[in-house]
Amino acid sequence: MSAATAVLAKDLRLLWRQRAGWLSAAVFAAISVLTYSFALDLATGNVRPLLPGVLWVTFLFAGIIASGRSFAAEVEQGTFDALMVAPVSRTALYVAKVASNLLALLLIELAVLLLATILFNTALLTPELVAIMALGTLGYVSLTTLLSTLGSRVRSREVLMPVLALPLLVPLLIAAVRATGGALDLPTGGSPWLLLLAGVTVWSALGSALLFPLVAEQ
Amino acid sequence: MSAATPTPSSGAGRLRRLVWALVRPVYEARWTALPPLTGAAMLAMLVGAVVVAPREAIEGEVQRIFYIHVPSAIAAYLAFFVVFVASIVVLLRSDLRFDAVARAAATVGVLFTALTLATGAIWGKPIWGTWWAWDARLTSTLVLLLIYSGYLLARSLSDDTDVRAARYAAVFAIIGFVDIPIINMSVRWWRTLHPDPIVTTLPGNQALPDSMLLVLMLGMVAVTLLTLWLLSLRAETERIGVEAAEMRARVDRIEAGGVRRGGEA
Repeated sequence: MSAATAVLAKDLRLLWRQRAGWLSAAVFAAISVLTYSFALDLATGNVRPLLPGVLWVTFLFAGIIASGRSFAAEVEQGTFDALMVAPVSRTALYVAKVASNLLALLLIELAVLLLATILFNTALLTPELVAIMALGTLGYVSLTTLLSTLGSRVRSREVLMPVLALPLLVPLLIAAVRATGGALDLPTGGSPWLLLLAGVTVWSALGSALLFPLVAEQ
Repeated sequence: MSAATPTPSSGAGRLRRLVWALVRPVYEARWTALPPLTGAAMLAMLVGAVVVAPREAIEGEVQRIFYIHVPSAIAAYLAFFVVFVASIVVLLRSDLRFDAVARAAATVGVLFTALTLATGAIWGKPIWGTWWAWDARLTSTLVLLLIYSGYLLARSLSDDTDVRAARYAAVFAIIGFVDIPIINMSVRWWRTLHPDPIVTTLPGNQALPDSMLLVLMLGMVAVTLLTLWLLSLRAETERIGVEAAEMRARVDRIEAGGVRRGGEA
C-alpha cells in the first residue's frame, strides 16, 4: 500500500514539475474554445446545440495531446525501466499515472467550462455537467494513458496519438456529446446516453488496467 | 504467414503435432494451389455476378455490386480477426513472426474495408441519392478503417524489429477488435439507414432467390481465397523485410566493431 502511495506521490510531483507541458495543453484548450466561439458566432445566432460538440472535441484533443506524453517522458529519462524493476505492482504504476493525468485534465476542463460559460453566455458549471465531464474524462484518459506506452516507441508521436485514440473513442464521444446535450436540455433521441457513457468508461478503465501489466512486460 | 513449428515439449505438444500434421499439407500448398484456385473463383464470380444473376426488379443493374460488396465486408472482418489472434500470440510469446502476420492481415483488412466503403458509396448514390450518410454501419465501417490505418501507421513509424513496439501495437489491435461491438451498438443507437441483412433471415421467408444466393456464395468463396492469397504474399513480404532489417543491423554492428568476430554481436 505504501508503495502505491509512493508511486502516486511520484506522479503528482512529476505533474508539478512538468507543469509547462500541461500549461501548453491548457492554452491549447483555451485557444480552441476561443476559436470555436469566434467562428460559430460568425455562422449562427444559436450556438447552444453546438456546445456539446465544441466542448468534447476540445477536451479530447487537449487530453490526448497532453496524456499521450505520460510514459514517453519516463522512457526518455530512463525511469520507466527503473519502475519496471521496482517491487511495485504494474497496476499501481498505471493507476497512479491515470490519477495524476485525470487531476490535471479536470483542472484544465473546469477552466474551459468557465471560459465557455463566459463566451457562450450559457451556465455550464453545473454539477450535472461537471459529473458527465469527469466520467467521460476518466474513460478517455485511461485509454490514452495505456496508448502512451505505444507513443514512447514511435516517431512523431504528437500526431500519432490522436490518430490512434480518436477512432477507439468514437463510442465515448457519441455518448458524452449526447449526455451533455441532455444536460443542456437539447433533444437526444431518447437512448440512455449516460448509461452508455458509464458503461464505456468502466470498460475502458478496467480493460486498460488489465492490459497494462501485459504491455509492461519485457 | 510463417511456419509455427510446434515445440515437442509438454502433453499439449502431441495434440499440436497432430493438428500441424493435418494443417501442414494445406499450408505448404498455398504457393502452388492458391493462385489458380483464386483466379478461377474470381472469374466464376465475375461471370456469375454479371451474367448469371438475374436483374434486380427495383434497384436494377447497380444491385450487382452486392456480390462484391458483401464478401468484401466479410473478408475485412476475417482479416481483422486474424490481426486479433496474431496480436494475442505476439503478447503471449513476443514472437515477431506473428507481428508480421498481424501487419499483413491489417493491410489486407484495410484494403477490403476501403473496397466495402467504395462499393457501398457507388451503390448508395443511385439508391439513397447520396454517396455518404452517417448511418450506423457506414460509421462503424469507417471507424474500423481508421483504427487499422492507425495501427499500420503506428507500426510503420516504429522499428520492424522493435519487440516492445510490436507488443504495444498488439495491445492497440486487441482493443480495436474488442471495440468493434461497442462501436456498432453506440452508432446504432445514434441512427441507422442501411438495409437489414437479408441472407440470414429465417428459412421459409428467405428474401433472396436461389440464383442470387448462389452467386453470393460463389463471391464469398472467391473473395476468401483472394484474402488468403494476399495475406500469404503480404506476410511473406513482411517476414523477409524483418529478416533484411535484422541482417542490415548485424552488418552495421560488425562494421562498427571493426573485424572482431563475425556472426553474432
